[in-house]
Parts: sequence; structure tokens; C-alpha cells
Amino acid sequence: MNILETHNLSFSYPGGEGREPVPVLKNIDLAVEEGSFVAVLGHNGCGKSTLAKLFNGILKPTGGTVTALGMDTADENNLLDIRKNVGMVFQNPDNQLIATVVEEDVAFALENLSVPHDEMERRVTEALEIVDMLPFRKHAPHRLSGGQKQRVAVAGILAMKPKCIILDEPTAMLDPKGRREVMRTIRRLNREEGVTVLLITHYMDEAVQADRILVMNEGKILLDGTPREVFANVGLLQSVALDVPQSADLMFALRQYDIKVPISILDDMECTQVLIDLLEGKFGDYSDRKFDA
Amino acid sequence: MIKDITLGQYFPGASPIHKLDPRTKVLLTILYIVSLFVIRGGWGYFVSAAMMFVIIALSRIPFGVVLRGIKPILFVLLFTATFNLIYGTGTPIFEDVSWLGWLTWNGLRNAVFMAVRIILLVIGTSFMTYTTSPIMLTGAMESLLAPLKWVKVPVHELSMMMTIALRFIPTLVDETDKIISAQKARGADFETGNIFRRAKALVPILIPLIISAFRRAEELADAMECRCYHGGNDRTRYKVFHFAARDALAALVMTGQLALIIFLNVVT
Ligand SMILES: Nc1ncnc2c1ncn2[C@@H]1O[C@H](COP(=O)(O)OP(=O)(O)OP(=O)(O)O)[C@@H](O)[C@H]1O
Ligand SMILES: [Mg+2]
Repeated sequence: MNILETHNLSFSYPGGEGREPVPVLKNIDLAVEEGSFVAVLGHNGCGKSTLAKLFNGILKPTGGTVTALGMDTADENNLLDIRKNVGMVFQNPDNQLIATVVEEDVAFALENLSVPHDEMERRVTEALEIVDMLPFRKHAPHRLSGGQKQRVAVAGILAMKPKCIILDEPTAMLDPKGRREVMRTIRRLNREEGVTVLLITHYMDEAVQADRILVMNEGKILLDGTPREVFANVGLLQSVALDVPQSADLMFALRQYDIKVPISILDDMECTQVLIDLLEGKFGDYSDRKFDA
Repeated sequence: MIKDITLGQYFPGASPIHKLDPRTKVLLTILYIVSLFVIRGGWGYFVSAAMMFVIIALSRIPFGVVLRGIKPILFVLLFTATFNLIYGTGTPIFEDVSWLGWLTWNGLRNAVFMAVRIILLVIGTSFMTYTTSPIMLTGAMESLLAPLKWVKVPVHELSMMMTIALRFIPTLVDETDKIISAQKARGADFETGNIFRRAKALVPILIPLIISAFRRAEELADAMECRCYHGGNDRTRYKVFHFAARDALAALVMTGQLALIIFLNVVT
């Protein structure tokens, strides 16, 4: 089943006085399977955040339709149901925590959904447990580290028990430790809790962990496939100013010399194995070739 | 350094006074203020002051802190006392010293009582903020003012605004610190020059701060909508206040005090 769908979706922000609206998204057809882990890549300003905000009705399409769990986001009556099921985490953890105590912040959505008090208590504990923040439930958010704040933000969404969670560059403001913590939480959500994850990111090492990668460019979907399929297009990716994982880059470079290594290698162990095989001559004998640049 | 400013002067603690339901504290503070205005004689003031001493002792807030709270009103205090003294009527204190004829027993009495009343008033009200965190006070206010919703007072919205303000003050203070450092690194000078020069030097701090506050507000609004915020109707509350036995006891003591004061008014 598709949890998120767009049909011929277009979007433009209203232009200022006298200026034309700028089209940001152009005729996007997209479907996200329930339970999948999708990463969205694209350079700055290509419309990733805009797409994310369209999925739970923060923005309304200016053309085409967006449906979440089969409900049209353009219909105001659906909004609460959609937002309950399609949670969203933003980049800056400071600007999405509302209360002055961690547990109260996690309960915020539940208060809005009129959840009875006893159940609230249970769901807050559960959500904080999933993100490993239970010991901090009485703390003040502004005293937590960036990674901890971001995990509290995730817990605040999880408390709603959403079917899908959209994360817009959740690790962009974090240090490597915070990034690892948050990524571990995201993976666990997807694998163990069965939550559909849509992760917008600039980090390739995060994107390769997904089942599927969407590459956006100029408001359109440029590439769509498994990490292997997507990162095989090293040339195309580099042409839209995107990095590729180092191992994919190396394989790409080797292929420039007609060395027939597998097309897309993503993790480092695999890459090492290919290099060993290469040196042992498994891909043919290159000893007589000249490797000049 | 700016980070050191304390907010609303709350002194965290676990004393019996701290543990009282914030609603109790608000209501009993009002009751205490009322009792101060009911008092007519010296014994009444004695009872009220004794009550305050007991509360201070129970709260374990250092006496020095409480005294410091009076400092800002010292001027008002002297002013009122002086006027009461000058405009007193009745028998002069020094009947044979003619130039001290304006100094009457009655005036002295009024001056002292008025001073004590103001001091107790200030200590009494500040004690509520000393022992209750701002966020608890906000919650108490929302709960106590809830009936006003019937006359269309946006009680929930006001308390939400307070909560968000309290949540963001530390964040914005942090940010101000950063902007000041950044401007200093660019050679900005906030310490020298006359008042106008210094006021002007604040502009490069305020403008980035305001712009960033607006950006934050926009993001926060999105985040709140994402979490199904749709106003105060039919919201449930995570933090619910419970009246406990100690609240009943506190109410009893405070009402007892008022009764005693009224009694003293009648018998003397
Ligand atoms: N509120 C807005 N009003 C007008 N234009 C906007 C608004 N928000 C974004 N834009 C424009 O829409 C385009 C897409 O923005 P969007 O934030 O979706 O990009 P993004 O892919 O998320 O970029 P980034 O990687 O920097 O987060 C940009 O050109 C941006 O300038
Ligand atoms: Mg973005």
C-alpha cells in the first residue's frame, strides 16, 4: 500500500508584490510504499523541504494532488488525521520544542489530540524509551545536547504513533556523535516499529542506509531507485552538484580506465574486497596497462 | 555572562511551601493580601508578621534574600512613612518643644503601620514567585482563570504565549551572547562613548536578534501545526494539579489567620 502519493504535483510560493510566483515543484508523480525507508537528496533550494511540507498539509499544492493514507491534504477536514499519521521533524531542534520540560514537550501532540491523561503518561514513557531519552524526562530541553534535543523532537512525534515520519535534515546541525544517535533512532523506528521513514539529507552515508533514494533537481525527481541503482549514476549526480559515497566514486574512477569493476559499490568492506580481487587479477590482467592520468 | 540573569526570581527547592499546589499559593497569597487590608490594630500586624516569619522559615529561603526583595521599594516606603508622620493629627509627642509640634503619636503609629503593611505586602507577593516556577504559575493561572473563557477571554492562548516565551528566553539569551561576540569580533564597541553612542551600538545586536526571532517563530508555528495544534478547544492537559492534604492545611491556617485578625479588630 502507498502511504504517500502525489499526482502531477506542482507548487509555487506566492511571489511578492508585483512579482510572479516562483514554481518550486513541477509535475511530480511519486508514491511511497508503507514501511519503506526513503531518502531524498538534492542540492540547496531544489524543493526538498517544500515537498516535505506538502505531505502533511502544512503547504497546499497549487497544482495536482497530494494524498496521505488515501486522504487528500487539500481537504481541511482531513488535516488532523493526516498530521497524526504523518509526523514531521525539522532541522533545528531548538525551534520545535515547545515546553520547558522534556516530558511535557513529548506530551504536546497528545494534549492537542485530547488523549486522556493515563494514556498520555504511558505513551510519553514509551516514546522516550524508543529514542533512549527516558532518564531525561524531567530535564529542561535547553540544557540538552543537539542530538538529545533532536531525539526528544522525534519522541514528540512518535507519541502520536504516526504511520510515517518525515525528517527534514534532522542531523544537519548536529556533531558526529549526535548524528549517529539520531540515525540509529531512525533506523530502529523503521526496522523495529515499522514506521515509514522519509529522510531528507545532504549526507550520502545516511542516504545509503535507505531502501530507496530519490534525487531531486530543479523541482523534479531526477533519479529514483535503490542506493545501488542511484549511485551508479556518478556522472549525473556530480553534474547536479551532489556527492557520491567515496567507494562509489572510486569505482567510478576505475571504470574511467576501462577497468571492469562492479558498477556500484556502497559499503567500505565491499569496496575493499573488490580492490583485493582486482589486485589478485580476478577481473582480468591489467599489468600491461599504463595508468597515466 | 548575560546567562546569569535569573527569571522571575524563582528559588528552586523542595520545602513544604514549594510543594504546595501553585493554585493554592496564588489563592492564599490573595487571601493574605486581603487580610493585610483588614487589619486595624497593632496586634493584627503582629499576627500577620508572625505568619510571614513562619512561611519564610518553612520555605528555607535565606532571610537575606527576602530583605533584598524590599530594597527596590525602600524609597516608596520612606516616602509614605514620612507623609504619614507629617500629616498625623492628635497629641504631639513632645508637648513642650514647639517646633516638633507636628510630630504626633497618631502620625508615628500610622507611619509604622503603613511601613509594616507595605513590607508584608511586598514579601507576601514575592514569596509566591520565590517558591513557584514561572511555568507552574502559568499553569495555575490558566487553571484558575478558566471560567473567564465563558466571557471570551483567550485564557489558553495567553498561557500558551507565556509558556513559549519562558521556553525561548534561554535560547534567545544564548543567541544574544553569540551575536555580541560576533559583533565584537568585527570590532564593535559596546563599552565606551556616551549614552547615545552606546544605544546606537545596540542596533547591530537587536536587528539580527529580531530577524532570527521571527524565523524561529515561523518554524515553531510549523512544528506546532505538525503536532496537531489547533487552539485550546478540547485540549487535555498532561500536567494536572492535584490539591493535597497540605493544601487544605495551608488554606486552613491562612483562613484562621484572617479570622484571628477580624477577631482582634472586634475585641480591641
Ligand atoms: N516561504 C517561502 N517563500 C518563498 N519562497 C520560498 C519559501 N521557502 C522556500 N522558498 C524557495 O523555494 C525553493 C525551494 O526551497 P526548499 O526550502 O524547498 O529547498 P530545499 O531543497 O529544502 O533546500 P535546502 O537543502 O537548502 O534545505 C527555494 O528556491 C526557496 O528560495
Ligand atoms: Mg530544506
